[in-house]
Amino acid sequence: MNTISTNLPAAAADSLLNRPLPGQSAAGEQSGEGFAAALGSAVSRVDQLQASADQQVAQMLEGRGADLHQTLIAVEKADLSFQLMMQVRNKIVSAYEEIARMQF
Amino acid sequence: MGIFQGLEISSSALTAERYRAEVAAANLANVETTRTASGGPYRRQQVVFRAALAGADAAGASAVEVGEVVADPSPPVRRYEPSHPDADKEGYVAYPAINPVAEMADLMGAMRAYQLNASAVQAGKQMIVQALELLR
Repeated sequence: MNTISTNLPAAAADSLLNRPLPGQSAAGEQSGEGFAAALGSAVSRVDQLQASADQQVAQMLEGRGADLHQTLIAVEKADLSFQLMMQVRNKIVSAYEEIARMQF
Repeated sequence: MGIFQGLEISSSALTAERYRAEVAAANLANVETTRTASGGPYRRQQVVFRAALAGADAAGASAVEVGEVVADPSPPVRRYEPSHPDADKEGYVAYPAINPVAEMADLMGAMRAYQLNASAVQAGKQMIVQALELLR
């Protein structure tokens, strides 16, 4: 069960990278496409926030940054969005595990 | 980024209040300044805040920004000090019309407002964390 749950994110990320955005997807494709794309864009937004927080912390440590509180809020935003992403991932993984455990 | 709108607004207020504290500190620092680049004594500076739209879809909720910094038009205080190099022919020196007590009160006001907005950031953050708890 553990191997499944650890392998899932990598496989999901791989498939997410090759999927078109919701607006671009052709009609008649499998359902679930929109969800994967939405998840992909959410992950990339979280990544953007992390990068922006990183950049601001580096700038602040070099002494040429914006205000201290702006840096800290950027870090906080990155943290919160990451937590949200983790919660969503946990939900998806637990749903997947639930299905995988299904017995007939 | 809709969920972070509140944090953005509080962040703008923190920036504005910090600037106000800086201006009050500058006024305190220049209480006795008789020479400036523009000539004459230092003039007391005042911060004017302005409401600013936070994000593109702000419907009502607005951030704050420093609109402008204006100089106090009140005339300088003249003190009789004939030995001072900046004294005029009658022996009077023009000093800035700054009341240190009023500036201290302004500084404390800025500090309290900063605290207040920092609490608003905390509250906004806690609300997001509470919402995340719903997923657990």
